[in-house]
Amino acid sequence: MKRKKGVKWTVLTAIPTIIIVLPLYFIAIGGFESVTEIFHRPPYLFPPNPTIAYYIEAYNALSSYLKNSLIISLGVLVITLSTSVPAAFVLAKFNLFLREPINLLFAFVQVLPSTAIIIPLYLVFTKLGLINNLLSAILGISVFLIPFAVIILRAYLVGIPTGLIEAALIDGAGYFRILRSVVLPLSSPGIACVSILTFLLAWGNFIVPLAFLKERSLQPMSIGLFLFIGQYGVEWNKLMAGSMIYTIPPLIIALMAGRLIVAGLTAGAFKE
Amino acid sequence: MKQRELYLFVLPALVIVAAFAVYPTVYNFVLSFRDVNLISFIRGTSRFVAFSNYLEIFKDSTFQSTVLNTLVFTALSIFFQLVIGFLLALLFNYEFPLKGFLQALIMIPWVMPIIVSGSFFRWCFSDDGLLNNFLISLGLIQEPIRWITSKSLVIFSLTLANIWLGIPFNFILLYTGLRKIPEELYESAEMDGASSFQKVLYITIPLLRPVIITTVALGCIFTMKVFDLVWVVTKGGPGGASHLFSTLSYSLAFDRFQFGKSAAVLVVMLAIVLALVAWLNLMRFEEP
Repeated sequence: MKRKKGVKWTVLTAIPTIIIVLPLYFIAIGGFESVTEIFHRPPYLFPPNPTIAYYIEAYNALSSYLKNSLIISLGVLVITLSTSVPAAFVLAKFNLFLREPINLLFAFVQVLPSTAIIIPLYLVFTKLGLINNLLSAILGISVFLIPFAVIILRAYLVGIPTGLIEAALIDGAGYFRILRSVVLPLSSPGIACVSILTFLLAWGNFIVPLAFLKERSLQPMSIGLFLFIGQYGVEWNKLMAGSMIYTIPPLIIALMAGRLIVAGLTAGAFKE
Repeated sequence: MKQRELYLFVLPALVIVAAFAVYPTVYNFVLSFRDVNLISFIRGTSRFVAFSNYLEIFKDSTFQSTVLNTLVFTALSIFFQLVIGFLLALLFNYEFPLKGFLQALIMIPWVMPIIVSGSFFRWCFSDDGLLNNFLISLGLIQEPIRWITSKSLVIFSLTLANIWLGIPFNFILLYTGLRKIPEELYESAEMDGASSFQKVLYITIPLLRPVIITTVALGCIFTMKVFDLVWVVTKGGPGGASHLFSTLSYSLAFDRFQFGKSAAVLVVMLAIVLALVAWLNLMRFEEP
C-alpha cells in the first residue's frame, strides 16, 4: 500500500485545506455579527459580540423556503431514481439494438448548459400554464439529473454478474422481478450514492426555480436568500446566517457520506 | 419480442429527457431564427428573420466582450483548478493521521450551494469587503481594489471564485487516478536514484494523461455552463462587463424579453461546447 507519513504531513496538508474551507468559516461567523462588525477593518477572525439573534431571525424568515427546498429535492429524488434505475439496469446489462444512440442522448443532455434548456422551457411552460407550479421546477431539475444518474448507475450495474441474471431468466423470472430481487439488492451502494448526489444537486439548484417559480410561497432556499438583498442594501448578517442554515444539510451529508460522494463522482467520470 | 419489453424500462427516462431537454433544444434552435419578444410570443405572431438575430449579436459589443470573458474565464479556471487539484492530490497520496477528515473538508466547496458561495464572494470582493479589509490591514495595499466594480478586473475576480469552486472535483478525479498508479514503479525509480520531482515528471504525469484529459474535458463542460456564480455576484455587471454566454442569454430573455436573440446566443454557446467536447474526445484516443 501507499507509504505512511506522520503528523507533520497532516499539518502540511491541513494548511491548504484550511484555506479552502475559510469561506465557509467566514459565512458561519458572519451570521453571529452585526453588519458593522462584518465590514470591520481589520476583519474579525472571531465574532467580538456573538449573538444568535440573526440566525433565529433568518430561520424564521426562511422556514417556508426550507420546506419548499425539501419538497422539491425529494420530488426530484423520486422521479430521478424511479426512472434512472430501470434505465441504467437495461443499458448496463442488455445488448439493446438502440443502446448506443440512447447512451449518446444521455451524454448529450449532460453536456447541455442549463440556460439552453431553461429559457426555451420557460416559454413552453408558459404556454402550458406550468409557471409557478412546483412540478415545473421538479421536472426542470430532474431532466438534468436523470442522465447524470443513469451514467453513474450504469457504471455500478455493469459489475453485476450476467450469470445471475441469466439464471433468473431460466428460472422463469420476468425482467421486473429480476430488477427487484436480483439487481436492487446488489446495487444498493450505487443507489445510495446516486441518491445522495441527486439530493445535493437538487437542493442547491438555483436557475430552475429562478426561472419558473415567481410566487414567493413556492420558492426554495436558493431564491429565498435574496430576501436579505434589498433595494437599499444587503442585510449581510442575516444573509450569512441564512446561507449557513441552507448549507448545514449538505454539509452533514458530506461529512457523513464523503466516500460515497467521491465514489459516485469518479464512477460517472470514468465510465470505461 | 424480448427487446420490446426491455425498452419499457428505458422509456420513462427517455420521455422526460425528450420532452424537457431535446424538445426545448430544438425549439430554441427554431426561435433563434425568429423575431420573438414578449408580445409576439404571447400572440404567436413572431416573424421569421433568418440570420438577423445572429448578425445583431455578433455586432453587439457586449456579446464580443462575452466571448472574450468566456475564453479568459474558462482557460484560467481550468488551468489553475488542474494545477491546484494535482498538487493537493500529490499531498493526499500518502497515509497520514486525519486524512479522511481533511479529504471530506476539501469537498466542501462542491457541497455548498453555489448561491451561498456566490453570496460570500459578493461580500468578499465588495469595495469595503473582506478581501480589501484584509489586504489594507496587512499593509499590502493603500486603497481598496475594485474587484467587482471595475470593468477590467471583474472577470478575473469571478475566475478566482470559480477556481475555488472547481478544486474539489479536480482534486478527486486526479487523486483517484493517482491511486491507480502501481507503487512498484516509484520504488524501482527510487532505486535508480530518481528525485521526487523526476518521479512526478516521468512517471506520474505520463501515466495520468488519460485522467488529466478527462478532467480537463469535464472542466470545460462545467465551466462553460457556469451561470449561478456570475448571476449572484455581479449579474453580468458592471455595465455588462462580466457576462458569460449563460448570463447574457438569461438577461436578454428575462430582463429585455428578446427571446430570439437570447436563443441565438444559446445556439452559439452550444455549438462551442459541442465542438470542445468532440475535440477533447478525439484527444483521448490519440497516442501521447
